[in-house]
This record gives sequence, C-alpha cells and structure tokens, in this order.
Amino acid sequence: MNKFIEIAGRIGAQRHLVAIRDGFVAAMPLIIIGAFAVLFQNFPPIGKFDFVGILNNIFGEGNWQVTTGTIWNGTFAILGMLIAFTIAYNLAKSYEVDGLSAGLIATASYIMLVPATPTDWGLQMAWLGTQGLFVAIILALVLTELFRLLVNSKFTIKMPEGVPEGVVKSFKSLLPATVILLGVGIFQAVWAALIDISVFEMIFKIIQEPLQALGNTLPAALLIAFLNHILWFFGLHGTNILGGVIEPIYLPLIEENIAAFKAGMSAVDVPNIVTKPFLDSFVFMGGSGTTIALLIAIFIVIQREKNHPYRQVAKLGAPASFFNINEPVIFGLPIVLNPVMLIPFVLVPVTLTVISYFALWLGIVPRTVAFVPWTTPPILSGYLVTGGSIRGILLQLVNLFVAIVIYIPFVMAGVRALRQKTEGQS
Amino acid sequence: MNIALVCSAGMSTSMLVKKMREAAETRGMDATIDAYPESQLKSSLDELDVVLIGPQVRFLEKNIRALVEPKGIKVDIIDSMAYGMIQGDKVLEQAIQLKNA
Repeated sequence: MNKFIEIAGRIGAQRHLVAIRDGFVAAMPLIIIGAFAVLFQNFPPIGKFDFVGILNNIFGEGNWQVTTGTIWNGTFAILGMLIAFTIAYNLAKSYEVDGLSAGLIATASYIMLVPATPTDWGLQMAWLGTQGLFVAIILALVLTELFRLLVNSKFTIKMPEGVPEGVVKSFKSLLPATVILLGVGIFQAVWAALIDISVFEMIFKIIQEPLQALGNTLPAALLIAFLNHILWFFGLHGTNILGGVIEPIYLPLIEENIAAFKAGMSAVDVPNIVTKPFLDSFVFMGGSGTTIALLIAIFIVIQREKNHPYRQVAKLGAPASFFNINEPVIFGLPIVLNPVMLIPFVLVPVTLTVISYFALWLGIVPRTVAFVPWTTPPILSGYLVTGGSIRGILLQLVNLFVAIVIYIPFVMAGVRALRQKTEGQS
Repeated sequence: MNIALVCSAGMSTSMLVKKMREAAETRGMDATIDAYPESQLKSSLDELDVVLIGPQVRFLEKNIRALVEPKGIKVDIIDSMAYGMIQGDKVLEQAIQLKNA
C-alpha cells in the first residue's frame, strides 16, 4: 500500500506531467469562455423566452454571431498554440529558467510546423486547435529541455558587469533561441522533402487519434472513474494526479462536440460520449464519489441524533459540496482508509458512469456540448453541458437517486460500527 | 506570523484559511494566512514562516521541502482529521508549534 502511495505521489509530482497539467489549468479560463460563446449562440428557447431569437431580431441573424464566433476562434479553436506556450512556460519555471522565452520559442516553433493553406499564405486553423495538441505538448517539453540545457551551458552571450539585468536576460536567451529555431527550421525542411504529410498530420494520426478513440469508450471512462476514486480513498488528489494524462485526451473530444454543435448539429448527434464535462456533471456530483448523495443519505439515515459525528460532517461539508468540493467529507467522515466506505465510494461512480454512458449512447439524453467549470453546481451543470436540455437534469436526478440508494446501507453499517467502537471504549 | 496553505486549486483550503483567521483573531494574534495552489507557491515565498500542505496533495511534500526549507521556512502536512473538520484553531496551533519547534 505504501508502495502504491509512493508511485502515485511520484506521478503527481512528476515535473513534466505537472507542467502539462498546469499548462491546461492556465488555459482553462479561455477554454470556458470559448465554450460559453458557442453555448450562447445555440441556446434553446426557455418557454417563451427565446434568447437567440431575440438577438436575431435586434441585430439580424448572422451578425451578432460574429461576436461569439470570433471569441471561439481566439480561444478554444487555437488551444494547441496556446498550450504550446503555457506548458513550455510552466516547465521552464519549474527549472527556474526564463519562462517567457521558453514559451515564445515553443509557440514560434509550433507555428513554423503548422501546414499553410495552399494558395493564400494562411495557417490552417484546424492545426492551431486541439488537433495539434500532441504536437504542442511534445514541442513544449522537448524544446524547453533543450532551452534549459543551452541556457545553463556556456553557450550564451556574456555581458560585461554593469549592463542592466533586462538586457542581460534578453541576450542570454538569444543564442539558445536561435539554435532551437534553426533546428526546427531544418527539421521542417528535411521532413517536407522526405515525407508527404505534415508533422501535425502524422502525430495526429499515429498518436492522438487512436488515444482519443480509446478515450471515448466505456472501459476508459470506467478506468478513470476507478483510478480517481482509489487514489482519493488513500487520501490523494485523484484528479490532480491524473490531470496531466487525462486533459490532452479528453479536451479534443469535447472540442469536437462543441465544434459540431456550433456548426448546427443537434446535441444528440455530436460524435463523442465520454468527455470531461460528462464525468464532471453526471458522475462527480458534489465531488469525487458523488458525495452529495452520501450527504443526503446521511441526513436520511440519521434524523434523530442531531449531534452524530456523521451528521456534523455532513452539515459542515454541505455548502462546499454544492460546488463539487468535498475535502471536508473525504477527510472528516472520513472516507480515507475507511473500509466501510471504500465499496460505495468506488461503486457509486462506476455505476453512474455506466448508466450515463448508456443514456447518452441510446440518445435518451443529449451528449455534452458545453464546457463548464467543474465547480458548477449539479442540476445547473446538467442543464448547461447538454446545451440547455431538461433531460440532462433528469439524468442527474436519476443518478443522484441511484447513488443515495447505494450509499444508505453503508451509512447504516458505518453508524453501527461507530456505535460499537464507542461502546467498547466506555 | 506568516502562514501559507497549499492545496491543488487553493479552493478547499480557503475554507480552512477563513477559520484559521478567525481563530487567530480570538487569540489576539497577528497572523497573515493565505491559501495557494501549488503552482503559485513559488512566487509567494517572501517572509513566510510556515507552509502547511493539504493532506490530499501530501505527495508534493518532498518538492515543497526542497523549495522552501533552504529559506528557513518550516513545512508540515495538515492533520487530516482537523483538515476535514475544518478546525481552524487546531491547524493554527499546529502552525505555531511548528514555528517554535
């Protein structure tokens, strides 16, 4: 068990994975703004209130959509390019070398490799976005390592004493930057001479596409749910540890959905079922373990003893739980290393993943076409991620009901175990 | 004294920070207490006395120790039960003990 914690800890603290995860965290506000812009553009009427219709009447259809469309183009649609910068920046920072320079070098190299449009000297937007995510990650990691080695070597321009620090800094990265960009340029020339398709297409086809296809399956969703909860059971931040691996695979999947939704496809027909909003809003309600259901189960089981320790934790944890933050419940109850709670804590999310998967697969509930912050309260999140569908809320309610039913017997068992323990002591 | 709490996003720990500030006030203690996501700790090290790590990110302990101990800052992992029950006073006591140790 100690071995397990040690390995998990090593993954959670691994420099490159941390840089990737924090790179995505940095881009998250832009991702969410872009996704919301598309959601506004396609929002269904609520009763008589037709938001899109009203705006169409005022500004004319196709005019106001320019606003939301361009927001999308500048945010989620160029995620690959943004990520190249943020990951390189974070990795360089972790080595305590110049983050801005590293970020700029990675971005410049990324653009150098992006295929141009055939006739009019443009960049192909598709490769600036999530389709280029893996190229972005590889470039950011490899080039920043190279940059660090060069900056820390003797291969820099030395300035005499008394030269202002800003000047010293800009010259210090000049030579390494030149070497790296020259290298990328030569690489691109050789590649273009030998291979017909671009680096981007190659990496997309052989790495990213297969991983995404795998990610969009029920077993992959179950594996993530399972690993995340086992980690939390040992008191380790599951999503934090897995983040660096999960984000690059799952962000492109939701992007494909949003892009299809933007182009006018109905939320039922968009291609991907398993996405991060899928797990966040249908499974991790109240946080990992769907603990909002656990709190409700506690309030149902323990009604008379107002001062019961479980009830106190539930009361303490309730406000944060609405925003899917549940550390008080996990450490206070505790769920951590509590054998009674292990089974439902893993069983509930796994069951809900299966239910939700089939509900979306059968088309009973629309698929996810929006990206909301993971702190969005349940019910609201179910409505928003399905592009404004009541069915999203219904699925959440069904899931909550199932989760509460599973939790109740274990809460009872926990109460009994606790009573025996205190009676044994007195 | 200056105390920094570290967790993943700085969200869950911020609840504890509020309770700790209240506890410091009742004690009439002059304390600056803030929560940081791990990625921002590095830029907030000035004049810190104690860094307390949330139990859910305790795997960061080694990295954080390497980062802050050379500056004479004391490091510990927050007692997980006190963390769960958001017992500000108990965690504040832990920080004081750590500083004086």
